[in-house]
Amino acid sequence: MKKVMVPDQSTGEKVIRHAAAIGVTMKESVYPLTATVFYPKERKKMPDNLRGYLMFDLDKCISCWQCAFICPANAIRMKEAPNNRYYPTVDYGKCIFCHFCIDSCSGGALMSTKIHDVAYKDMDEMVTLTEEMIEPPEIIREDKKTVEYVIDKKDLHLKRRKEVDTLLVENIPPVEIPMVSQCVDRGSCLACRVCERVCESGAVSSSTENGIIRMKIDTEKCTGCGLCVKECSMQILRLVRK
Amino acid sequence: MEEGEQDRNIRILHSGVFSPLRRWGAKWSLWPCHFVTSCCGVELAHAFACGFDGERLGTLNMGISRQANFIIVEGTITRKMARALRIVWEQMPDPKFVNVIGACGQRGGIFWNSYNITRPSEIVPVDFFVPGCPITPESLLRGVRAVQEKIEGKERTTIKFNKVELPSGGELEERTVPTTPKLFAPTPEIKLDVKRSVDWDFGKELKDLLRKGLKGLYESITITDVNRIAIRATQEKFMEVAQRLKDIMKMDHVKNVNVIEVPHERKYVMEYMVSSYSVDELMPVIISLFTEIGREAEPEFPSLTSLWESANYSEREMHDFFGIEYKGNKGMNGKFLLPPEVDTPLRKDFKIEEEQYVFDEEAPITTPIKLPPDLVMPVPEETLEAAEENDEMVACIGPHHPGSGHLRWIMRLKGDAIVEIIPDPGYVHRSMEKLAENRLYIQNVPLFERANISDPFNMNLGYVRTIENALKIEVPERAKYIRTIMAELSRIGAFFYDCGIYSLFMGHSTGFMYAWAIREMILEAVVRMTGSRCTPSFIIPGGIRRDISDYVLDMTDNFTSAVHKRLKKYEDIFIYNPVFVARTKGVGVLTREDAIRCGLVGPFLRASGIDYDIRKVAPYEAYDKFDWEVTTGDAGDCLGRFMGRYEETKQSLSILKQAVDVVKEMPRGAVISEEALGEYKEASRDIKGHLYHAYGNLVLPKGEWTTVTESARGTVLYSIISDGESNVPYRVRIITPCWMNLRGIIEASKGERVADFWAIYGSFGYFPPEADR
Amino acid sequence: MMELINTLISTMMSNQVSIPLAEPILELLRDIPLVGEMIALILWRPIFAALICPGLTVGGILLLFFPWIERKLCGRIQWRVGPHEIVWWLGGLIQILADTLRFLFQEVIVHKDAHKHYFLQFPFLSFIAFLLPLLFIPAGNIVAIESPYAIQIMLALICLFPVFILGLGWASNSRFSFIGTVREAFMYFAYEVSFIIAILAMIVLYGTSDMVSIVDKQSIWGIALNPIAALAFFIAAAMATSRLPFEIAEADQEVAAGPHVEYSGIAFGLIYVMCYEKAYVLSGLMTVLFLGGGSAPYIPVITDLLAPLLGDLWGAMWFVLKTIIVMTTLFVLRTIYPRYRLDQGLSIGWGAMLGLSVIALALSLALVAGGVIVI
Repeated sequence: MKKVMVPDQSTGEKVIRHAAAIGVTMKESVYPLTATVFYPKERKKMPDNLRGYLMFDLDKCISCWQCAFICPANAIRMKEAPNNRYYPTVDYGKCIFCHFCIDSCSGGALMSTKIHDVAYKDMDEMVTLTEEMIEPPEIIREDKKTVEYVIDKKDLHLKRRKEVDTLLVENIPPVEIPMVSQCVDRGSCLACRVCERVCESGAVSSSTENGIIRMKIDTEKCTGCGLCVKECSMQILRLVRK
Repeated sequence: MEEGEQDRNIRILHSGVFSPLRRWGAKWSLWPCHFVTSCCGVELAHAFACGFDGERLGTLNMGISRQANFIIVEGTITRKMARALRIVWEQMPDPKFVNVIGACGQRGGIFWNSYNITRPSEIVPVDFFVPGCPITPESLLRGVRAVQEKIEGKERTTIKFNKVELPSGGELEERTVPTTPKLFAPTPEIKLDVKRSVDWDFGKELKDLLRKGLKGLYESITITDVNRIAIRATQEKFMEVAQRLKDIMKMDHVKNVNVIEVPHERKYVMEYMVSSYSVDELMPVIISLFTEIGREAEPEFPSLTSLWESANYSEREMHDFFGIEYKGNKGMNGKFLLPPEVDTPLRKDFKIEEEQYVFDEEAPITTPIKLPPDLVMPVPEETLEAAEENDEMVACIGPHHPGSGHLRWIMRLKGDAIVEIIPDPGYVHRSMEKLAENRLYIQNVPLFERANISDPFNMNLGYVRTIENALKIEVPERAKYIRTIMAELSRIGAFFYDCGIYSLFMGHSTGFMYAWAIREMILEAVVRMTGSRCTPSFIIPGGIRRDISDYVLDMTDNFTSAVHKRLKKYEDIFIYNPVFVARTKGVGVLTREDAIRCGLVGPFLRASGIDYDIRKVAPYEAYDKFDWEVTTGDAGDCLGRFMGRYEETKQSLSILKQAVDVVKEMPRGAVISEEALGEYKEASRDIKGHLYHAYGNLVLPKGEWTTVTESARGTVLYSIISDGESNVPYRVRIITPCWMNLRGIIEASKGERVADFWAIYGSFGYFPPEADR
Repeated sequence: MMELINTLISTMMSNQVSIPLAEPILELLRDIPLVGEMIALILWRPIFAALICPGLTVGGILLLFFPWIERKLCGRIQWRVGPHEIVWWLGGLIQILADTLRFLFQEVIVHKDAHKHYFLQFPFLSFIAFLLPLLFIPAGNIVAIESPYAIQIMLALICLFPVFILGLGWASNSRFSFIGTVREAFMYFAYEVSFIIAILAMIVLYGTSDMVSIVDKQSIWGIALNPIAALAFFIAAAMATSRLPFEIAEADQEVAAGPHVEYSGIAFGLIYVMCYEKAYVLSGLMTVLFLGGGSAPYIPVITDLLAPLLGDLWGAMWFVLKTIIVMTTLFVLRTIYPRYRLDQGLSIGWGAMLGLSVIALALSLALVAGGVIVI
């Protein structure tokens, strides 16, 4: 335990402290430790992992809905595309940039950019549809220089470079963990076919033999998205290792 | 909002002979009236501090509405605050502009279905919306630039998307849209005293002691976890048990007052969590005392304020939330935290809006919200009458005042002396507890972090630790150390946040700038670690989202030594400035007894001489592996509180240094516990791609899970009640330090001079969003 | 009639400001009828002092650019840059012009509770009243009114300042302006006594209260002769202009700018510049009393070259330069200190400062009586 003593300033000490305060001011007015980024004209270099605007790769999307499910702000909603599949849309009027969606996207379809400085004149424009998320957006930029904050052992320094920072970052694909859906208790199946109707990859199919509906999961086609597992009313589907 | 308000300003600017001069003047002289309503205010401060210096653009921050011409609405506008927004806007002279920054002020962000939010765009005409949660300083300045361009006549959104045609030709015909991922048990079984066999010898002793002491009064005594004991009592004997706990067990303060409604069993569970500051052995122990009462229309319960003063405000809060009348508590007439039009929102039959997962062009994206009916913010009648009688003056500080923070203080003044100050909180009450009951466990991680974004990691850590405790997850060593680094960074950051605000309260803008420069360094490290400046949401059950780079470890290491250069200057100009010392020394003294009675927490408790720091009392993460000391003081005045925290920050820097050194030596490996991940073990180094799979269906075992964590401003307590079946919590109770310290501010201000109020207020580091939750 | 005009013109011509550098052009202009008379009028010392330097023009320019100097310097000390983007190659020099224009064209709100007429009159009245003391301040050897009682009259005018501020606060009729006004009144009494005694000390020392002869008598600057009086005067000036650490009446975070809280538009604009005006007057007085007024130090080459060319303006230039330095010091205080509490401010005023000023007076008396200084 450490006891903290409250400074008790004697007159002499007060004079010294006054002098110290004035000294700092005089020193800073000559050699200031300015730490200002001249923003519209220059841009602070942000790390690649900055959580900015989202981009979307249609080919990698398996329409697993996980981005919509995990979004804490309900900013992501799935919209049906002309090809019958559901793809995410983002409402930046709600998005909190937590990137839980990117961390949930097992196919790596959602990607981040370093775009974060945007102003909208209208709230309706803040809803970004799937088709707008595929190509990188253009933003109004006035910056000609890049500034980087460098902290060394002594102090914080601003490193200025005459270059325009790119706002797109390389997308690192997630670790692949192949999973498939499997029925653990075929006897309990009600044949409600909800798993088939919910499956976006077409892996679940049904056939009728002698009036009995039989469900089949194609392990090759199955993406392991887990939608059928979630929807199964008898809870007899499980995600297992491929 | 009235007709024709939307573009009135532009019309004014473009009319008359002097139109070009008007526009030029307005463009370069946008003085924002900072409407610091919540988290985004932190980033606003960064935008106007030395890191970005908004004054470059001619925008000088001005707290007074008559002289400003630009409102920057920072975040949530609650129903209570909506009135203030409209009033302030109407007080401003034309032409005036409004920018809304942060998702809260647009469609609500993470609080989109809260019962207490409104939308600024429906209250005042808004010029630009800046997305983010919180926004970055750059985007705030982008918003200012956009307004400048609008004045010139170029109104435009600063982003343009390129549309790509989506593929067509589908082959899937019969389709069902998946249902919500949330599972609610239809008849959840709520049990607060679920027995858990733990290795806790002192607990057994304590249990015997309790059995003897409370003979014939209790129904059951259960050890629910290490350091947690639950006592069930009948309603009749409840007071008596409480009295005995206070007398025999030296339980001197209440940590939590909770009510759990169980509608299908037609009952309320009334719970008090008590603990002791006076006996060293009992410090980590939390005794939960509870009873059940019938669910009537107007339930009543005897108040324990007469025993424990610290229960006072939490009881009032429960009165607001559940409509329970605490007999004997003086604050039962009227709402304390909530606006008048919201009634008993935490009862289960009060429904909030459900999530929609399908984009439907027909359905409104912006859910309609009914605005509060009037613009009145009344002062309680009794206060006015009492003031009238004693020839006093009543002054309301806040909710929009340069030195009020985001709540209203009703001051009764006799000359230059404060007779009494009455807090009127709730201007940032964003209903976290209700929202948490309707979200998945993992979705609550970012939610609770937003209680206090000046100290985000500790808020985050507290919640995650509660889940880990319940699930008995052991966190990998590396993650433990990294979490410690983050928690300490956040603690240091919060201290400098409070320093800056304190300097401003004292009228010292240089102190503010210097403290904020140091914060800028901390945020640079945080953004490189996590990708977000203020709201990292980085700690998840079982570890952290991903490992951090060596570069940022070096940077943090450098920070621990580089900070001293600027800190020295800060010390000279502010901390040891004779004027500051004169202002704070001997002001707002709280003695040891006062501090315990008010139930203070954290550094403010320690400043009154009580050696209580959870990091030492019940160590978590890697705190027991470092060499550091708890700082206490005897003075209990403003300067003592401030110096105590300053010393603590030095200790934190030392912990940080030690932790970084350890992590640098450590081999890279798993940062998420494999138990937590289940099938997805490969993701233990980086959760990317598997967050929902691994955590979406998290279910906590049945019972009540309580943890306390030492955040920058004191103890943060999370108590999760789970039914063991649902993948959403049944009830989450969060007690934040500022809520507990509110009482201390009131106690300390009594009899002091008017100007001293800011010295006291600042010394407590009060952060309204944290207190209001 | 003609005679009267001729007498007037000859009076004016006999007391002209001489600027050798501009003489060729003036010579040309003088021949033009009417313009010549105009120029004679403007260059007539009293008018020149009132209208150009140290009066309206220089005052106005200072009011327009001094806030910029202050904001830039404070920004620099605070590790940032201050106004910049408006004309970036001049470092945001015309920032205050934009602010002024904005205030000028902005709505002036008179709220329901205000005493309407007084509410609108006081800012304008005070703006003019604050300029009056400038008539007695000599810039070099240019002065509007030369009087053996110059200092006494100035003091009387300066002591009027708080009355206008009280008026502002009273007319606003709001809670915060009420508290602020009361604070202002308290502070007024706290600094005034020691302020007057400190000036008295200097009058005793110089043996005259004529501003021009005070400047002449400062072969050694007043600040060197009686530094204690200078300190007391400076602190009193900080209190009078409501500078930190004595910015008690206008404390932004406490009483939301106190007396000014309800003002908007150009009315606030005037109040905003009022504090700079006040600082200008007091700094001018300090320059005259302690820093040798317009007397210039001898700098080789530059003095030889410029002094004969600029003539009377040379002294005026030095006066303005010194005044700016004093003003800057006064304004930079806000980067150094937090704010005192009202009672602490009062006890400093009635305690330490009163003591200081009395000591200063005693020192002056001792110096004069001891014959150390023979003036």
